Amino acid sequence: MRMLEKDEEADVEVKWEDQQRINEFSRLNNKVSDWEDQLSAKKQEKEYLEDLSGELELADEDEPVKYRLGEAFVAISLEDAQSRLEKEQDKLTEDIDALDTKMTEASERMAELKRLLYGKFGNAINLDK
Amino acid sequence: MTTAEKNPRGIPKALFVEDVSAFLSGYKDSTELGLRHLQEVLSKYRFMEANMLQRKQSMLSKIPEIEKTLQMAKYLEERKASSEEPISVQYELHDTLYATARVQPRETVYLWLGANVMLEYPIAEAIALLTDKLEVSRRRLTHAEEDLEFLRDQITVTEVNTARVFNWDVKMRRQTAETSVTVAS
Repeated sequence: MRMLEKDEEADVEVKWEDQQRINEFSRLNNKVSDWEDQLSAKKQEKEYLEDLSGELELADEDEPVKYRLGEAFVAISLEDAQSRLEKEQDKLTEDIDALDTKMTEASERMAELKRLLYGKFGNAINLDK
Repeated sequence: MTTAEKNPRGIPKALFVEDVSAFLSGYKDSTELGLRHLQEVLSKYRFMEANMLQRKQSMLSKIPEIEKTLQMAKYLEERKASSEEPISVQYELHDTLYATARVQPRETVYLWLGANVMLEYPIAEAIALLTDKLEVSRRRLTHAEEDLEFLRDQITVTEVNTARVFNWDVKMRRQTAETSVTVAS
């Protein structure tokens, strides 16, 4: 941190409207980093499930599959396992799409807020993560 | 430094300082007193934030637990309807140690309610109870997240207030210094 030089000191009044913009930016910033974590966890999970469905293609049809339900592994038929897996994959894809949409909207709004706030306060404000 | 306005869970809203000198007139025009008060408000908000963060974390760990139990209860119900054959299941006997069990499909399950109490429920009732609990926990999580957002806003407002009071003070001192220099010369 450093003190601003006297001549670059911004003598701009902070209005309630600006404060609300600052709040919104900080709020979005927080949300986005939360969502990023969720997104990478879900993407990882999706990859695992994809590998799994590949493995199941090769599995013996007469041999039951030990599928994890809750904390235990239950022997179920290959067919059941595949349909459960498919449902889980669909759910994940849906979640990932929803997160992606939210994040795109948020970063658009943040770019707009940055434009407004930097426009008014210049280097007196710092809006990075 | 807070207003009468509150969020749905009763957290007071921070007051935005529009005019620094008007704000300080409430503190005998003393920057020090004003800043000290802002600092107090800030630490209160931070305390609430820490509490709320904890609540959020506890919900985040509780929700997957309920989901897992619910998943198993639903499977048991499904399975009971489709076949009388015993279910072959590997369960965790101890950390990292699994044993195989054969479970006869039954009409009831036992739910651990906490405080050393376990209760027997017909499966459908267990599912209803778990679904309800899951919904309540999710709602609590949403509330905790909303409160955290709200608190963050109030913290930002208070921080900006602090910075502005501080800057105002620096400016005042500089002016006073300049005036006294002019007078002296």
